Amino acid sequence: LWETVTSSFASFIHGVQPEHLSKIVRHRSKRMILDSIGVGLVGSTTHVFDIALQYCRLYSPVAVSSVYGKPGIKLSPTLAAFTNGVATHSMDFDDTWHPATHPSGAILPALLAASQMLPPSTKPNGMDFLLAFNVGLEVQGRLMHFSTEAHNIPKRFHPPSVVGTMGSAAATAKLLSLSTAQCTHALGIAASLAGAPMANAATQAKPLHIGNATRLGFEAALLAARGMEANPLILDDIPGCSGFSVFYSVYQPKPLSTPSDHHEFLLEKQDIAFKRFPAHLGMHWVVDAALSVRNLFIHYAGSFSPSLIRTIVLKIPVSKYINRPFPSSEHEARHSFQFNACTALLDGEVGLSSFTESSIHRQELRELLDKVVVEHPEDNVANFDKMYGEVELLLHSGDVLTGKCDTFYGHWRKPLSKESLLKKFRSNASHVLSEEKIETIITMVDNLENLSDSSQLACSL
Amino acid sequence: LNIYFFFFPSQTVTGNFANVIHGLNANHLTDQVIQRSKRMILDTLGVGLLGTSTEVCHKVTQYSKIYSSDISSTIWGHLDFRLPPLYAAFVNGVAVHSMDFDDTWHPATHPSGAVLPAVIALSEAFPQKKKISGLDLLLAFNVGIEVQGRLLRFSSEARNIPKRFHPPTVVGTMGSAAACAKLLALDRLKCKNTLAIAASYAGAPLANAATQTKPLHVGNAAKHGLEAACLASQGLQGNKQILDMESGIGAFYTDYNPQTLPTLQSYPWLLDQQDVAIKRFPAHLGTHWVADAASSVRKKLVESSDNLLPLDKIEKIILKVPEVKYVNRPSPTSEHEARHSFQFVACSALVNGSMSVQSFASENVHQPALRELLCKTQLEHPPDNTPSFDSLYCEVSVTLRDGNTISDRCDTFYGHWRKPLKKEDLEKKFQSNASSVLPAEATEGIIETVYNLENVEDCSVLSTFLSGRSARALSEKRHAQSNIVGFG
Repeated sequence: LWETVTSSFASFIHGVQPEHLSKIVRHRSKRMILDSIGVGLVGSTTHVFDIALQYCRLYSPVAVSSVYGKPGIKLSPTLAAFTNGVATHSMDFDDTWHPATHPSGAILPALLAASQMLPPSTKPNGMDFLLAFNVGLEVQGRLMHFSTEAHNIPKRFHPPSVVGTMGSAAATAKLLSLSTAQCTHALGIAASLAGAPMANAATQAKPLHIGNATRLGFEAALLAARGMEANPLILDDIPGCSGFSVFYSVYQPKPLSTPSDHHEFLLEKQDIAFKRFPAHLGMHWVVDAALSVRNLFIHYAGSFSPSLIRTIVLKIPVSKYINRPFPSSEHEARHSFQFNACTALLDGEVGLSSFTESSIHRQELRELLDKVVVEHPEDNVANFDKMYGEVELLLHSGDVLTGKCDTFYGHWRKPLSKESLLKKFRSNASHVLSEEKIETIITMVDNLENLSDSSQLACSL
Repeated sequence: LNIYFFFFPSQTVTGNFANVIHGLNANHLTDQVIQRSKRMILDTLGVGLLGTSTEVCHKVTQYSKIYSSDISSTIWGHLDFRLPPLYAAFVNGVAVHSMDFDDTWHPATHPSGAVLPAVIALSEAFPQKKKISGLDLLLAFNVGIEVQGRLLRFSSEARNIPKRFHPPTVVGTMGSAAACAKLLALDRLKCKNTLAIAASYAGAPLANAATQTKPLHVGNAAKHGLEAACLASQGLQGNKQILDMESGIGAFYTDYNPQTLPTLQSYPWLLDQQDVAIKRFPAHLGTHWVADAASSVRKKLVESSDNLLPLDKIEKIILKVPEVKYVNRPSPTSEHEARHSFQFVACSALVNGSMSVQSFASENVHQPALRELLCKTQLEHPPDNTPSFDSLYCEVSVTLRDGNTISDRCDTFYGHWRKPLKKEDLEKKFQSNASSVLPAEATEGIIETVYNLENVEDCSVLSTFLSGRSARALSEKRHAQSNIVGFG
């Protein structure tokens, strides 16, 4: 039976079962869920979150879905998804995959909101929830493999707004048990809601990309559930009339195999990167390199003495939107190789407080930033699987100290330990939740497969 | 005392757009722009009213009812419920494009559907003390149209019938955002941020044209533009060079050359230079050339055959049209596909004489006589037939069994900007559409209000008529003391 690419995706979404989830996939995806929640909780303390929440509160009556960090407030499901999505990406602290996107923030908020929307008799259990989450991941990953363009750090469209919207549609379609035909249409409707340009990265509007991905994909599934129909060939190559291919200049779609006994999820072969501090993933390499050379420097000079430094050379890949010599806002600072390297050199660490107004405008930091020059070695590809970061301190004395990082701690090649992941979660969640609630969430996610009513997770936020 | 010249630096195109959106006022509107835009408004309302009865509109209405708020706006054609402004803009926008009956501009887009539902919904969201006048509405509407036109001129790609992104989803979202920013009287900075935020909502692929999802493109453009303006109003910020950067609005085009707008002094509106096309039947604009040519051929056929249409004597039908893949459908099965089929419209016009709303009803789409003719229809794409609404043509040739060929060609259909609809015909279209859901009082009220829009003190009368309220209820409203009129 010859299937179109689109129908193969719909068949997959509809036909995949919990049994198809391997142990590794379950383990990895639960780590992602936990991290994503924590990041969303701390994100609920941001200004952009406030704006989104205030906006959504205009629509209150059918308010059933929880909002991160706001126990007294409920919103209608897609708007809760929107708000929580904004929270998740508000500080660029959420997970990153390869090919590049932020997968969890685009699907988890929709699933949490949807779980609370369903009537008590049809509440999905923890396994259903975990499966739907993985469907959302898998669809995102598969779509990114349709274009070689997707392998590198993006230039035109922000990937979460492209594949994230589709992933959210797929995940919610799964959770809502839509038919195969409805799954097809959910994907088609979602494509018309996908795609935001890169220019809003490093601005306050960037978090909306994840907020809208999760919300609009969810909306697409809800419309499909009500019988809305779209182009059933949306993922296929349609010469002369673009479908999903419109977001790429090179597009080679392939059908997904129907899961029979065994389906290998992409997450099995390709793990996720978790961030240790709230900034663009690229920053993590230069920070680890900077920390390494900082140690050398302290060993050399006895203490960190900026006056001894003549020039700081950063060897980084070419990527315009993260090359900012003098960032002036927190959003720009999170997208600046220079800023993150210098902060690491100065403070010996980069964390939440590194991006406050006062930290960004510190005199000592500005002085260091003045000494930075940037180089783009040819072998440093703008690709999260291949790039590296190198920091060279050229001292007045003529000595040169170098730190290089190929794989930062948190990258998929060097994953965060369980302790580190929990430490990050606890630190984030403690900004808005009590210790008791924090431990409840940790336990619930750890035992997700055995949860009889997955909406309890959303209710516990 | 020093005299300062307040210079607002507008070196960026984005900043320049924001300055213009902020700076344009009613005095800038020329007579022709006022006249043309009012025609567009009337047509759009009629088309939207008719569209509320479609299946797609029912679905999005059902969906949108899960949202509600204290502030609500009119759903055109409905007295029985209201929706929050965002969803009113969405539903009404879907209604406008539900049948592909709405206006088309050059370069190609459907300008009014993305803007009018948003500004009308927004006009109802202001506190009762603040009256939005007809002139405020007219100005905001024209700002929304102008911004779309200017953006379309930033890429040569836009001049032809689209292939990748559906233009209303790109420029329509931006136009809605600009119009709402204008109505909200946002300052320059917030106008800039409105544009920036809106860009992150823009862009849907063409593949959903000819499906039930296409109307959502216009609904979403209206809704998301409004949302962008609201978020900007609340202080959200985006990239202040969104129109300047290739990774901004440039992401939607393969070639992108943004330009600053003319100075505000005697501002040259694009609508002054380039009118819209108003459709005579609900189908893709390209099919209008086909319909006129086919009707003319039918007339000749009938005349030469004792006033009977010799359907069974037709051997072959050839249509010479531009190459537009998504309107090339030899055998459409749904109303949406039929509206995007050169072949269907040609055969339907040949069989029935003229095209109407009814031509796309299910029983007519599946007429056996029509199906037979479809099998005999072929397309040809002459190289000189460019896929641009400004220059395309259609030639219909019918070859009979006896070898005779009857053909005709249409260069400019009636309703195109080169041959605009007369006032009577525009009104007739509106009446026919609107009367399907509104009482005569309301349809007359709308015509009167729109024609007199620049003098209307409080444009909420338009919304009242749109909901179908009777004149008595309207005068009761005018005298009402209460602030918010409650609806169930």
